[in-house]
Amino acid sequence: MSHISLNINGNDHTLEVEDRALLADVLRDNLKLTGTHVGCDTSQCGCCTVLMDGDAVKSCTVLAVQANGAQITTIEGLAKGANLHPIQVAFSNCHALQCGFCTPGMIMATAGLLANNPKPTDAQIHEGLAGNLCRCTGYINIVESVKQAAKVMQEKQA
Amino acid sequence: MNARFTPSRQEDLSLITGKGHFTADHNYPGMLHAYVIRSMHAHAHIKHLNLEAVRAYPGVRWVVSADDLKALGAGTIVNPITAKGKGGEEQALALMPILAEGTVRFVGQPIAMVFADSALCAQDAAELAEIDYEVLETSVDPEQTTLPTAVQLHGNAPRNVSVHFASGDAEPVNAAFAKASFTSQLRVLSQRLMGVPMEPRAVVAIHDAVSGITTVHTPHQGILGMRNFLALASGAKPESLRIDANDVGGSFGLRGGPYSEHAALVLAARHLGCAVSWVGSRSEIFLSDWHGRALILNGEIALDNEGHILAIRFKDRVDAGAYNCMMSTFIGTRNLSITMGGVYQIPALYMESEVVYTNTTPVSAYRGAGRPDIAYAIERLVDFAAHEHGFDPVALRRKNFIAESAFPYKTANGSTIDTCLSEKLLDRAMALSHYATFEERRAQSLSQGKFRGIGLSTFLEASGAGTAPKDQAWGEFNVNGYLYVYGVTGPSGQGHSTSFASIIEKALGWPADRVRYEAGNANQKLLGNGTGGSRSLYGAGSAILAMCHQMLETIQPHAAKTLGVDLAEVHFENGVWLANGSTTTTAQIIDALPNEDKTTLHALGEATSGSTYPNGCHIAEVEIDPTTGETHLIHYYAVDDLGQVISPQLVRGQVHGGVVQGWGQAFCEQVVYDNQGQLLTGSFMDYAMPRAGCVPHLTNETYEVRTQLNLLGSKGVGESGCTGSLPALANAVMSALRPYGINQMDMPFTAPKIWAALQKAKA
Repeated sequence: MSHISLNINGNDHTLEVEDRALLADVLRDNLKLTGTHVGCDTSQCGCCTVLMDGDAVKSCTVLAVQANGAQITTIEGLAKGANLHPIQVAFSNCHALQCGFCTPGMIMATAGLLANNPKPTDAQIHEGLAGNLCRCTGYINIVESVKQAAKVMQEKQA
Repeated sequence: MNARFTPSRQEDLSLITGKGHFTADHNYPGMLHAYVIRSMHAHAHIKHLNLEAVRAYPGVRWVVSADDLKALGAGTIVNPITAKGKGGEEQALALMPILAEGTVRFVGQPIAMVFADSALCAQDAAELAEIDYEVLETSVDPEQTTLPTAVQLHGNAPRNVSVHFASGDAEPVNAAFAKASFTSQLRVLSQRLMGVPMEPRAVVAIHDAVSGITTVHTPHQGILGMRNFLALASGAKPESLRIDANDVGGSFGLRGGPYSEHAALVLAARHLGCAVSWVGSRSEIFLSDWHGRALILNGEIALDNEGHILAIRFKDRVDAGAYNCMMSTFIGTRNLSITMGGVYQIPALYMESEVVYTNTTPVSAYRGAGRPDIAYAIERLVDFAAHEHGFDPVALRRKNFIAESAFPYKTANGSTIDTCLSEKLLDRAMALSHYATFEERRAQSLSQGKFRGIGLSTFLEASGAGTAPKDQAWGEFNVNGYLYVYGVTGPSGQGHSTSFASIIEKALGWPADRVRYEAGNANQKLLGNGTGGSRSLYGAGSAILAMCHQMLETIQPHAAKTLGVDLAEVHFENGVWLANGSTTTTAQIIDALPNEDKTTLHALGEATSGSTYPNGCHIAEVEIDPTTGETHLIHYYAVDDLGQVISPQLVRGQVHGGVVQGWGQAFCEQVVYDNQGQLLTGSFMDYAMPRAGCVPHLTNETYEVRTQLNLLGSKGVGESGCTGSLPALANAVMSALRPYGINQMDMPFTAPKIWAALQKAKA
């Protein structure tokens, strides 16, 4: 067992975790942050994507002990109070979700993508989301929503 | 901005904020976690099973094998639909036990289950199971499995054949072939696929000893199907089971009934008296979710010298996997036969299909369940025949479309199609896709060293008739000013709540955002079908429309009172109540009522809706790089007649998803076994999935022809995307390769396969 400290969505937590515990499981089981989903066991589907110190990571592929001292943002922490993040708004506006299981990971991967590249081309969006699987939407509206979110975020900054 | 934010669907807000509630999110105090011990062999006798070390592992609470569950009443996995053989023979059935009884017949078959304090503990303990296998020969190939040399899987199924089915009349077909000017033959494979809903299969069960009811949280496609089939599988009484799922992360046909884990967890919750949970890992899901497709379709077509189709016949092979589980018989008999003539007026049709066993994961429904496959086979066959005999593929289709004057049209093997205006849909799709100028684009591509192709499909499918006698919906107003609507069909991403609220808004003049739809409320004793066969919108939607009509009668006295007139003087028109020139709305009437009067307003609606015939024309344009074999989809066009459209945005989304699932089958997805029955595509590392950008440009339109077959006038959209796209994409690839001597290739059209075929053609 290991003793770790995490800052999750702005709140500090100290936890006792098994050395082999995955960040995804600690978020879901210990902290009840079940918005982070687990859709595979080979780090392919991206449903578990969160931001770790600002970078999009697959939390099923990070040991909780590796995250010791990190700032983690999960889907639950993306909105500022009642104000949804522009990416969340764009996903709904563009009908970029159907069953919604992949959606938290898609939104967090988009947040990571746009933080590094605020004006991605279509090809860069495809590459940026290559690690996230969706079975319902065919990705067409997801790509649209990334573009819409990028535009709104640019306008806000201007 | 957010003060003004209105989600585009009722379902969205919780799902974009991480507040969705999927099965694995349930976490009851004291809940135990299950792990399944699965067979590592495709065919073996279990000579000895020793679970003592597993039982002794700290934290393990219960370990069961087949006998333990049978003692608690366990049944088998359900096979709800059977078929007679072509001579009226009874079908041989091999029903899958909940846990293996002495023999295992596919890799991944459940043998035992461990219940422990944590999922990791259960998995660690399971490592200690001692299983002594006597490994048997395997039969993995669905064509070779019927040979005398193949090992027989089940004592009651000689040649590994479950049923040899036939439809249509062989004699006129044989006569037509005898007099035909041209005939063509084409064998196509609709390869075995994984359904892959993104939410892995999961079950959480908790038993209430006082009421005697076990609540089962699980992704499903409608509570009644899951509840009644789970009762058979677990031995529990249907009324003692309550099925619940708030959010379902995709279903695609795989989730209409229980798997072993469902039955075992119901029995465990009852036996142990605590909540129990099983959440499948993706690796287990690849092994044990029912697989899809797995069909070999041998088609033959007979034409006269002008290109009129005289007859079509098929000889099909249907791989059921190791057991008859859920829908494989239905797919391999009914669904392969009812639309086997496609959109064409063909005087003679005949088909035979053999449903066979192999040492592989059982096969059941996956989006379309035989309909995309047969549409693919017909549209490939027609295209192939046109090119083989020098007909223009568009002209040949036009010549054979069912004439508008012929509707309702009864096919030679007995289906009645109400309407299908293929000519009009084809015209529109050709205009959208600039079909006429394709050769210019082909030449332009060639000048850059690329092979361009265009492919089209004109298709129809039969949507689901449903198994319940009718669909019912119950509506009631509550004191908070919401209309609550209850039904049976459960959503798994389709947006039921949003579409049903739209129907109600139009029919009742009541705001959509004040409607709440709930599927499967246990207090409602409603009849109805689950989601499946694209039927929720028109099946449940028709019942909801009928409920609205009943509700209007209930509201009418209040409307008369509000407008100060006699009952007979008020009527409802275009969303408002009218009498003597004054108007009011349903919302105004209800909102003004005292609370005790609001709750007296309720209505039951019901409707009987059978199959409909969604149809369309899809066109795909592709470009192949001959140096790599890679295919790039340039643009995809879909024109669909889905009947009355309720929510255009959701319809577009369904077509997107369906087309891209079709793209997956056409270009990358396939389940591969080795000849020992080991699954080689057991994870997302090996099983290729469509990813962002695979279909970069998709234009879709609807051409609405209301159907008279249900109250709503809708035909269903769930399966049309993959039904139209398999043949359109395949015909496009063949169009690109035909100039180089390649006329047939099976899906998936991977880069290495195309590259190798081009090298061979060059040699």
